[in-house]
Amino acid sequence: MNASLLIISKIVAMPAVPVEDVLQGVDVSWAGFILWMPLISLVLCGLCAAFKVKTKAPAIITVICLATSFVLTCLLWQSYDKPETIHLFDWLQVHWADGSFIANFSLYIDSLTLLWMLFVTGLGTLIALYASEYMEHDVGKGYTRFFAGVSVFLFAMSCLVMADNLLILYLGWEGVGFASYWLIGYFYQRPSAVAAAKKAFIVNRIGDVGLALAIYLIWSTFGTVQYDQLTTVLDADQFQSSSGGWTVHAIPYLLMLAAFGKSAQLPLYVWLPDAMEGPTPVSALIHAATMVTAGVYLMIRTYPLFMLDEYALDVVAWVGGLTALLAATIAMAQYDIKRIMAYSTVSQLGYMFLGLGVLSSFGAAYHVFTHAFFKAVLFLTCGAIMHGFAGQLDLRRLSGLRKMKGWKIVSYTMLIGCLALVGFPFTSGYFSKDAILAEAFITQGVGFEFLGWLALFTAGLTAYYTFRVWFRVCAGPVEYEPGDELHGQSASSFHPHAPRFAINFVLVVIALGAILAALPYFIPNETEGITGGWVADMVSDSPGHQGVQKVIQGDDHHAHLLGMPVHTAMYFISAIVGFIGIGFALYFHLFRRSAADKLRSRLLAHRSTRWLPTAMEQKWYVDEVYIALIRSPLWILGKFFSLFDKYIIDGAIVNGIAAIPKTVAKWFSPLHNGAVQSYAVSMVGGAILIIALMLLFLLLKDPTIVQSTIQMDHSEQVIATVGGGQ
Amino acid sequence: MSLWYLLLLPLIGAASIFICKSSVSKWIALVTSTVVFVMSLLMAVQFNHWGNSSYGFVSHVSWLNAQGITLDVGVDSVALLLVLLTTLLTPLCVWGSFSAITKRKREYYAWLLILETAMLGVFSAQDLILFYVCFELTLVPMFFLIAIYGGSNRSHASIKFFIYTFTGSLFTLAGFVYVAWQYQVSQYGTWSFAIHDLTLFAATLSPPEQSWILLALLAGFAVKIPVFPVHTWLPLAHTEAPTAGSVILAGVLLKLGTFGVYRFVLPMVPEAVVAYAPAIAILSIIGILYAALICWVQDDVKKLVAYSSVSHLGFCVLGLIALNPVGLEGAVLYMLNHGLSTGALFFLIGMMYERYHTRDMNAIGGLAKKMPVWSFFMVFFVLASVGLPGLNGFISEFLCLMGTFIASSSNEVWPGVLGPEYAAIAAVGMVLAAMYLLIMVGKVVFGALKEPDRDKEHQILPNDLSPREIGILAPLAALCLWIGVQPTLFTDAMQGSVENVLSPYPRIVEQEQNESEAQQKQTWQIKVKEEQHG
Repeated sequence: MNASLLIISKIVAMPAVPVEDVLQGVDVSWAGFILWMPLISLVLCGLCAAFKVKTKAPAIITVICLATSFVLTCLLWQSYDKPETIHLFDWLQVHWADGSFIANFSLYIDSLTLLWMLFVTGLGTLIALYASEYMEHDVGKGYTRFFAGVSVFLFAMSCLVMADNLLILYLGWEGVGFASYWLIGYFYQRPSAVAAAKKAFIVNRIGDVGLALAIYLIWSTFGTVQYDQLTTVLDADQFQSSSGGWTVHAIPYLLMLAAFGKSAQLPLYVWLPDAMEGPTPVSALIHAATMVTAGVYLMIRTYPLFMLDEYALDVVAWVGGLTALLAATIAMAQYDIKRIMAYSTVSQLGYMFLGLGVLSSFGAAYHVFTHAFFKAVLFLTCGAIMHGFAGQLDLRRLSGLRKMKGWKIVSYTMLIGCLALVGFPFTSGYFSKDAILAEAFITQGVGFEFLGWLALFTAGLTAYYTFRVWFRVCAGPVEYEPGDELHGQSASSFHPHAPRFAINFVLVVIALGAILAALPYFIPNETEGITGGWVADMVSDSPGHQGVQKVIQGDDHHAHLLGMPVHTAMYFISAIVGFIGIGFALYFHLFRRSAADKLRSRLLAHRSTRWLPTAMEQKWYVDEVYIALIRSPLWILGKFFSLFDKYIIDGAIVNGIAAIPKTVAKWFSPLHNGAVQSYAVSMVGGAILIIALMLLFLLLKDPTIVQSTIQMDHSEQVIATVGGGQ
Repeated sequence: MSLWYLLLLPLIGAASIFICKSSVSKWIALVTSTVVFVMSLLMAVQFNHWGNSSYGFVSHVSWLNAQGITLDVGVDSVALLLVLLTTLLTPLCVWGSFSAITKRKREYYAWLLILETAMLGVFSAQDLILFYVCFELTLVPMFFLIAIYGGSNRSHASIKFFIYTFTGSLFTLAGFVYVAWQYQVSQYGTWSFAIHDLTLFAATLSPPEQSWILLALLAGFAVKIPVFPVHTWLPLAHTEAPTAGSVILAGVLLKLGTFGVYRFVLPMVPEAVVAYAPAIAILSIIGILYAALICWVQDDVKKLVAYSSVSHLGFCVLGLIALNPVGLEGAVLYMLNHGLSTGALFFLIGMMYERYHTRDMNAIGGLAKKMPVWSFFMVFFVLASVGLPGLNGFISEFLCLMGTFIASSSNEVWPGVLGPEYAAIAAVGMVLAAMYLLIMVGKVVFGALKEPDRDKEHQILPNDLSPREIGILAPLAALCLWIGVQPTLFTDAMQGSVENVLSPYPRIVEQEQNESEAQQKQTWQIKVKEEQHG
């Protein structure tokens, strides 16, 4: 297959490849097909839509194309030895006499790209397979539209990750935003879905503007938007942060805006929980595993730029830490399990940014990697439950799933996901979270140690809310109520239909992935001087790691916490914190479920504590605050401008000026009264006026008439004085 | 091949419409305009000045020799691109009017063809008077198209449109005549209205004179573009115009203003442009944000898209006065892209209006259920308009903003008078554009189906788009995609012309900077001295 692909790619891609870009030795120009496969899938889905195909064909096409993409990524990974650029075609170029702006459609393949592509295409394939069963209600209706959207997403995400310059990254960046708009709004007749889709796109747009401005700044400062050239320029150390003026300091903050928008951090996280209006496979793929990690990717990719401002990384760490805490508190008080997972995603993304902020690009990347698996499995189990219980997602109305026939796989894969999310000892999440937490205690920064304790506290909250879900839904006595998507069944005769092969298979595979994601940590490092296993190798030649190396030299790598080396201490502390959280969940949500309600009502009864559960359940009123502070004032301003336009600019000014001739004409219209005498008077008057004007003009135009007399007087005077002098 | 074929053929078509029966008039118009389009395509293939600044298809025809007025025509790469846009949109407009126009067909199609000639004349004129004649001639057909075939408030709208833009362009004429008169003085009595001569001459005039000429020219062009605050004729004209009228208005007529800035203002009065650019930029930015916020609160879809033109063209003007190739090429591309995507949006709104006879977003909604193909195109062109990368709108918006961003005084190759702060504020318009367009889509395309009664006159139209209507939208969509994927073809094509226009600017901007620096130094020295004395 490889050989045939090589031939095809030679025919298709070779004409565009300049000779110097073709590698000596291994020819990897076929890597473009990783990108084209989802596009081919999109085109085929489009054809399916045009010919009104009413079978599962779109799903089959998409799964096959994405699987091909995944296989190609694996092949590329196998043959990888050093970063390289693959030119596909010229995209946007502006030339002038002695310069140009160039952003080609090219791919940059390094290990960071490969790390991301491996889980993007891998999970993409699996989740598409899952969706082929999950979406079967909609065969012939929205089925094609759904898979076309998934294809668009994978194309855009591949562009984002494989881009060789910031402009293609921007294309992918907005592309994934659009795909997410498309898929969140999948149930387009539901007003909440339409609103959520719109919100996601608009909030992301704010981040996109930051990215666009950052690209302008990067180009005007460094003269390039290509990664490899950018690295060269930055490595040359010509750009000390002091030399570039304010622009250089603005770059990291603009990039941050972009990353926080896409990766749902404070203050732009509000779109992600609402995005759960989309079908669950979409939530798993886009809003948990892949797209939301784009911000982390962007930061690792452009890490050296964050060194240009001394406080940039501190800001990142604080935003990450606070987002993690805020989202975790909200997640504790929600009842919709999918929403809990959404807030949990926001919270975990906060950890990743905390990791980036405390100079652990490895920790962040590793957490992205493990999170992709365990969060995907959590969402997919939520989806299976939703699918089987007619849309029921309320954890108070579901119980004891693990004892029901056909739900064992769902329950236990969910347990695996929960354990990894909590960071239960020896699960993948345990290692990846510890890498971040330990670094917070090692790195010097503004309040990093406090952030570390805060993150540990958040880890406890995480353990609590995660197992709150599992103990409620999967453990306990068997009880359930169906949701409202009954498809004509009555609620009394409802029977949950357990997932079949495709869903179960995917759940098992991804759950295995979540377990095995711990292994890369133990695969010995090829690169010397780093720890953290295979993932560390993958990010070791990324700009993120190299950027860290520059700063980290001064730091004390043998810091101690509670008398132990930090990493060792963290193994114990985080395990203990996790156990405490799980213990609380066990008590309140399995053994004494009534105690939780009692606690809540007791808190609500007291005036001094009432705010806590209310605010947490109402998501700290962030949405309401945004509406009150931003949306409404702008809307009122728009309304005011609309009236201003109508009555002032158009009404008073434009029509006012237009009325002048009419008014002037009205003054003179009495002259035309038809009486001969008045005409005669006006004629005489007019004649006098004309003569007077003519005289005036003569005087003005030829002042010599007057001046000559003055001059005469003047000269006489002069003569007189001269004469007098004599 | 001569441009005169393009210019005269529509007129011949218009004349022959009056000889034939009213029922064949639409076919005559369609065939004529299609032939013109094919001819313009052939010309584009033959054109061998892509990429450089020379004019092609130049032909000399003398007219009023004593005054030096000629009928010379010729196009450079930028003008030819706009000619192509015009010749493409006209047949589509004719085709799009097949079902909408049921009365007084002959006049309608004749006016459309005359309008095409006038628009092509503007882009291809090599003589100022010919340019001006064509510039004004576009008003007449448009006036009748709005006044006869428009909506309920059509007579007011058409009169306002005519008088407003006419008043503005009278100042433009005055500016032209002043330049020509000064030229005549300098040439000892030999008149010339050739654009080439007058452009070279005007650039040598003194700065105060240049400022007055700039203001005079802008008076006409700014109204046409339209720049805030002289934009109020546009929403009215758009809402009242018939579909084809709106498409031509948004697609081509607004570009007459930006084209005027490109062809006359930039090369003729560079020193004044440098002096006034910040002020123009501020007006454009106000326009971008102001119109975008107004769009947000509109209920009428057509009015929303009309105001969005005001907002969008603000970006175009920013690109024009960024005074660097990135911005200027972005601006020219913006002219094309806005013509394609906004033109298509007006077509789509027209198709909806023909079926339901309403444009009120509160009365209509959820059409995706009923009209999936229409909805597909609607979303597609909205995304093109929002500036989704991969489609055309992104390229031009990105380049215009980038041009503005890098047009700071510290830029070594292309120093400008704008800078990051201008671009950063204008970029807020990107967010607002996404906001109002997606809210519009959210109401009209998505949501629960809300459907007023079908219009009785147009019962023949199918629920979703007919093949004819798809045939109108598909080429526009294909072009949007093509420009989005291969923008370099276009930027390379216009490179020479753009650089030619910009050639005097780096020197002038630097001069200006040195002068202002010297002035600052002086005032500073005076201050220091005063302090010392004090």
